Amino acid sequence: MELLEADSLAKSFTVKEGPVFRKSPKTVIALRDVSFKVKKGEVFGLLGPNGAGKTTTIKILCTLIAPTSGDAFVNGHSVTRAPQKARQDLGVMLTGDRTLYWKLTGRENLEYFSALYHMEKELAKKRIEQVLKLVGLEDRQNTLVENYSTGMRIRLSFGKAILHEAPVILLDEPTMSLDPQSALLIREVIQDLRRSGHAIVLTTHYMEEADQLSDRVAIIDQGKIIALAPPAALKESVMKSETIDIEARNIDPQVVEKLRGIDTITEVTSFVEDASSMKGMIKIHATDAKDAIPELLGVLVKGGVEISNVKVAEPTLEDVFISLTGRALRD
Amino acid sequence: MFSSVSRGEPSVTSLGDLAPLAAIFKKQVRHLIRYPGEFIFVLIIPYFLTAMVVAMGNSAGGASAVSNFSVRTGSKLNPFVFLIIGAGVWMISWMVLEGIGTSLRDEQIKGTLEQNFLAPINRFLLLVGTALAQIVITTILFATVIAATVLVLAPGSAAGLVWAFGILMVGLIPLFGIGFVFAALVVRFKEPYAFTQAANVLFAVVTGTFYTVNFLPFWVQVISSAIPQTFVIQDMRLVVESVNSLFGAVGTILVLFTMAVIYPFLGYSFFKLFEKRAKIHGDLSKF
Repeated sequence: MELLEADSLAKSFTVKEGPVFRKSPKTVIALRDVSFKVKKGEVFGLLGPNGAGKTTTIKILCTLIAPTSGDAFVNGHSVTRAPQKARQDLGVMLTGDRTLYWKLTGRENLEYFSALYHMEKELAKKRIEQVLKLVGLEDRQNTLVENYSTGMRIRLSFGKAILHEAPVILLDEPTMSLDPQSALLIREVIQDLRRSGHAIVLTTHYMEEADQLSDRVAIIDQGKIIALAPPAALKESVMKSETIDIEARNIDPQVVEKLRGIDTITEVTSFVEDASSMKGMIKIHATDAKDAIPELLGVLVKGGVEISNVKVAEPTLEDVFISLTGRALRD
Repeated sequence: MFSSVSRGEPSVTSLGDLAPLAAIFKKQVRHLIRYPGEFIFVLIIPYFLTAMVVAMGNSAGGASAVSNFSVRTGSKLNPFVFLIIGAGVWMISWMVLEGIGTSLRDEQIKGTLEQNFLAPINRFLLLVGTALAQIVITTILFATVIAATVLVLAPGSAAGLVWAFGILMVGLIPLFGIGFVFAALVVRFKEPYAFTQAANVLFAVVTGTFYTVNFLPFWVQVISSAIPQTFVIQDMRLVVESVNSLFGAVGTILVLFTMAVIYPFLGYSFFKLFEKRAKIHGDLSKF
């Protein structure tokens, strides 16, 4: 049974660019023909680089912005024709920690939002206790949010999203900026929510998180879904090649380009984390890693690249994205 | 399909909208209490304004300033009382208009506006509830300023205060309608103070805050007659002066009631129009 359906969603924005008084309108296409369904008890991952259209999709689903065309249905309610009913059946966590009232305590924030979602007072009281316990804020519930750490605010924001037990939950980067322990806690709650039958849409930058939590993943790039399948199936599609991860310094793009000349290598991407030392990662897809490694190391060493680690890895969702687009997710 | 009953979620009651409204009001009061400075300082502003106008009148009119004032305005009220009623109503209307417009802007900057817009509540509740706390507190404060001045300088007119505050309450309703227009402009242009401050100063001139509107050119009086504060100030002065008589003010009170019905409807329609545009352009999260 589908609790959420996106049907041919498209969104374009008109932005004005140029000097004052001579600005000319420019149309930016944020989403094109995005369709998917999310079942009861399913976690649906939306994966893509910045600006791919993940947040635009979430904002259309939660009625904050109107689609240019297409529609979406939350528990059967159209987000364009019955937005208020759709909102009642949605729990939403938007990115960041500025989604709460900093001059209110954690408890006061939850009390406020429970009223906005029409929860009865007694039921809300019990549920707030549960949620505070669930997100580990029981002891700090009466502290003003301005005195919370970033992690605590994000946990409270997550608690707000699950407070009224909506059938559909939209989580936009729920573990961003969180310490590993808090991120783990949120992932565990997401698993529990799936078991209790909620339909969950999750956007994330973290490949491992999408892989671990999602029943199905949609990879979105330049406003379009380019692949949609369970993570295992997506990874299987690139299994025919092996992945070699090389950590190195002094990465020279011209030297990296030379790797393409090696017969068994099918794809090469690199990303530099530190521009001063040119330290970063080179990802290589090869039909036979064992054969490719001696030759590619030779090319890199000769080109002055200082290698610190070489690893032949199982394909990840990032590899899927690379094989589909030729670019890394963090590009 | 999930149903409210099956998952034990409370359904929306027939009075379902009152609880969110109360929650919004409570949240705003909590915020205001936690930032108290503004209210303490704003209390003295009507006295400063009135004192400034009295000083100007004395410097221009000399010894006959008070008698001239009485003749020119046709009011037997103590000039300070006459002026403080205008200044008090002006400050209240300033707070109402700015309250509705800027409270949304404040939420937008804080990042909480989207959170409120995600909730299954009517936007009308959000607009009204957000401004209501500030307006209630402001109205109480400035009504107290007016009442204290009347009790000290014109104790015989104290009974008229009851009628005066009744008129003020009616006059606040159409002000909400104008406030919605400012809220819409804030959502669209994100510059609350540019609009509200310009309008508030304009309103001070055309609504007879420190004089009667009869002095104004006819075409300005036409504009004045479209603004509820004009009638509120005029009628409050009238009932304070005549103590218990509403007779002189009946016609204009009817105008106020009419405005109270029409303006909120027009203002909210205008807001909905801009809200729709904001949804198309994604303006709610831009600041």
